[in-house]
Amino acid sequence: MKTLNAIIGATALAAATLFSAVAGAQTYPDRTITMVVPFSAGGPTDTVARLVAEAMSKDLGQQVIIENVGGAGGTLGAARVANAEADGYTVLLHHIGMATSDTLYRKLPYETLDAFEYVGLVTEVPMTIVARKDLEPTDLKGLIEYAKANKDTVTVANAGIGAASHLCGMLFMSAIETPLVTVPYKGTGPAMTDLLGGQVDIMCDQTTNTTKQIQGGTIKAYAVTSPERLDVLKDVPTAAEGGLSDFQVGIWHGIYAPKGTPEEAVNRLSEALKVALADPNVAARFAELGTEPSPQSDATPDALKAKLEGEIARWKPVIEAAGEYAD
Amino acid sequence: MDFLSNLALGFSTASSIENLFFCLIGVLLGTLIGVLPGIGATATIAMLLPITFQLEPVSSLIMLAGIYYGAQYGGSTTAILINMPGESSSAVTAIDGYQMARKGRAGAALSIAALGSFFAGSVSTFLVAIFAPPLTAIALQFGSAEYFSLMIVGLVSSIALAHGSVIKALAMVALGLLLGLVGTDIYTGTPRFTLGIREYSDGLNFVAVAVGVFGIAEILRNLENEKTRSLLMAKVSGLLPTRDDFRKMVAPVLRGTVIGSALGILPGGGAILASFASYTVEKRVSDKPEEFGHGAIAGVAGPESANNAGAQTSFIPLLTLGIPANPVMALMIGAMIIQGIVPGPNVATEQPALFWGIIASMWIGNLMLVVLNLPLIGLWVKLLTIPYYVLFPIIMAFCSIGVYSVNSNVYDLFAVAFFGLIGYVLVKLRCEPAPLLLGFVLGPLLEENLRRAMILSRGDPTTFFKRPISATLLVIALAVLVIVFLPSVRKKRDEVFQEED
Amino acid sequence: MKSTTFDRANLLCGLLFIALGAFFALQSLTLELGTAFRMGPGYFPLILACALILLGGVILLQSIRVEGEPIGHIAWRGMFFILPAPIFFGLTVRGLGFVPALFLTALIASFASGKMKPLTALVLAFCLTIFSVLVFSYGLGLPFRRFGPWLGF
Repeated sequence: MKTLNAIIGATALAAATLFSAVAGAQTYPDRTITMVVPFSAGGPTDTVARLVAEAMSKDLGQQVIIENVGGAGGTLGAARVANAEADGYTVLLHHIGMATSDTLYRKLPYETLDAFEYVGLVTEVPMTIVARKDLEPTDLKGLIEYAKANKDTVTVANAGIGAASHLCGMLFMSAIETPLVTVPYKGTGPAMTDLLGGQVDIMCDQTTNTTKQIQGGTIKAYAVTSPERLDVLKDVPTAAEGGLSDFQVGIWHGIYAPKGTPEEAVNRLSEALKVALADPNVAARFAELGTEPSPQSDATPDALKAKLEGEIARWKPVIEAAGEYAD
Repeated sequence: MDFLSNLALGFSTASSIENLFFCLIGVLLGTLIGVLPGIGATATIAMLLPITFQLEPVSSLIMLAGIYYGAQYGGSTTAILINMPGESSSAVTAIDGYQMARKGRAGAALSIAALGSFFAGSVSTFLVAIFAPPLTAIALQFGSAEYFSLMIVGLVSSIALAHGSVIKALAMVALGLLLGLVGTDIYTGTPRFTLGIREYSDGLNFVAVAVGVFGIAEILRNLENEKTRSLLMAKVSGLLPTRDDFRKMVAPVLRGTVIGSALGILPGGGAILASFASYTVEKRVSDKPEEFGHGAIAGVAGPESANNAGAQTSFIPLLTLGIPANPVMALMIGAMIIQGIVPGPNVATEQPALFWGIIASMWIGNLMLVVLNLPLIGLWVKLLTIPYYVLFPIIMAFCSIGVYSVNSNVYDLFAVAFFGLIGYVLVKLRCEPAPLLLGFVLGPLLEENLRRAMILSRGDPTTFFKRPISATLLVIALAVLVIVFLPSVRKKRDEVFQEED
Repeated sequence: MKSTTFDRANLLCGLLFIALGAFFALQSLTLELGTAFRMGPGYFPLILACALILLGGVILLQSIRVEGEPIGHIAWRGMFFILPAPIFFGLTVRGLGFVPALFLTALIASFASGKMKPLTALVLAFCLTIFSVLVFSYGLGLPFRRFGPWLGF
């Protein structure tokens, strides 16, 4: 019993010191902030995170370092942050997968909507519907007809369950109400290689991966999924122009903090995010990736919260209809 | 001679004082971190990547290329010195390199690895420069059926990795393949063999498995009889290769270069097979195949050259298609994008100075590697004189850091311990780890391509024979099988006849 | 010749492979097998697992009536200290922080050898920790916390 008391006492003492340390901190942030990226280094999400983190560091006056916690479609990294100390020194940069994994994974170790505080939206990367360069149809309408007529032979590549290309492919098939032959790959690289080599027919992927190939004429682009045409791909019509009016998909990225993070820390991060997104260097780099920073009004907790809630609701029926789960 | 002027542009870019400096720093850092046991090329590059972000694009990529070569060489060094491969390719080097080290020939093994790599690197740099575009066109002909057949060739060849029982080697390959399948099935999203642990849903970490079955098993073996037996390591004799060694390494280096260059071009992971394939070939053509597994020079020279040549030519798909052939190349792409260069099919025309600068710096990096490492060999070999009981806690600490740093995944560390145990048990039962590791890397590729080929051919298995490249590869596999089994069949028959006499 | 002679290593080896094969086979059977056109997640592993069982069986048969090398000493002490070292590091690196976790990991591993004296082990672990902190934490800026939340600062 004595030992138990001692343990409780010690824990309380430790907790007290911990809290006083947090409370005693004069201004947030006074040390390095870790930004968890739930994917491996070098990928598109990692790139977005590093660009933003560098710009945020300047404004915060403290280094924002990237920690790559990859695995299980981003849910391992998200779980790490959900369970991290809510002191504002651990944040998460995650993309649309935050919303879709809520349905794709039936056993998540966190409640997506209850486990996080919201910092703000970072960017929304548009998608492109692309195909091997010798595919017959010349426009999106033709492609849809072609796909409907040859639904047993037209193949749609994706980079694995939960990947942007998987989500977009699913949405495309549900939009044209025709199931096609899905061919999964492990990652975008091999999928793109087979598209270049003409081994598969269609893919729908982020501009980050497709822009240079489209510009180089190695693949054919049928549509972009943004509401308006993109500056880097002026000749590619929007999906709406091609006849798929509601077909808008974007890989949106947001920054989250663990539930219970002090409000002033969240607000300070959100402010820094706004500054980062206004940085011309960040905008220039984003443009090269075929995307742009989210508008200042979206770099706010409320905008991200609304986005996440809306997207969970939007993808739930699509994923359930496809019946494909990741666990 | 268009490529000459291009190459000249490349060299003038790469040989500016500051770029040379960054190349040197890259090679040096890459070697120093990569040589720490349990820290392979991928971990090294991931750790050093952020350093390069602050530089100019060309300098940054040149430094990164330096880091890459340095890390690879560093990885081979630990494979040779302490049987601790950090990469699938150096797993092959470990087989004979470590045996050479145990016989006191660590210096020679390291020199051979460095010189062979340099030669292979030089040749394949020129290959990249001259043939990159046409080779890419060939590489794109490789679909799933072709990759599946290629992996079959690799698997069949793996039998040669074993110097003991062929049946056991096959069993180890099968076990390796199964272990390679652990994780989420990409076709259905079903987790397989993960025991419900989500941390394993992307598969087991290669470094964890390699460090476990090679490195830790070896440490435990060394700890077995420490009271009765002194170290397994013989006294170090002669740092540099003898004239005889040179004579023995020429042919393997040449063959390794050819094999590695050819396999490296394939964007779907051909380079993985380079060192394994070279080892098989060397063992086959050698007039003393029994030396393999006991410190054969060809078993170090061939695979190391193949490995470096493959590493070099795997830049081809990256530079001409903008597609990474392996995780290391994916990191390079990440670095390029952060520098504001999105790699794609047009990099060569849009950014000639960058494109050719990188190619030239590959060669310069290789040169620096040799210049830097030949003198360092003395130092590395000295490390072997550290008493073993001091060395292995250091090894354990570094490999914990290395494995953890890649994905901050604690379960990868548990896997290290588990595979250390498995590896030790298997060593005690006289099973060799190299075939297991080959199976482990090939497992996912084999299954993925088999299933994809079947989907693409609408369930028609004759696709593997109808496609000419695939059919050719299967014929090669059959030929390898016949060659591997024939001599043993003949030998058995001879034995039978002798008994009858 | 009596059948009591057998190669113990190969006997165990065969049994081990059969057991592992059986494990993978049973697990595969719980997965969807599918058809050759659309192979399910269980198809390929089931084939491999059966091959492994078969090969294990062959090794088992070969072990009978042959005398092999003895298995030899087993590094019990080594296993007892070496294998837990990375596990310990994994369990504590985030809680205790990089510095204490690494120090203790090195210390644990040190005791695997009977030749290591406690003082040497302490000195070794200390130097190793200093070196690693300088290189990985300060030099390369890896995102490890040097002292973790369990220590209260």
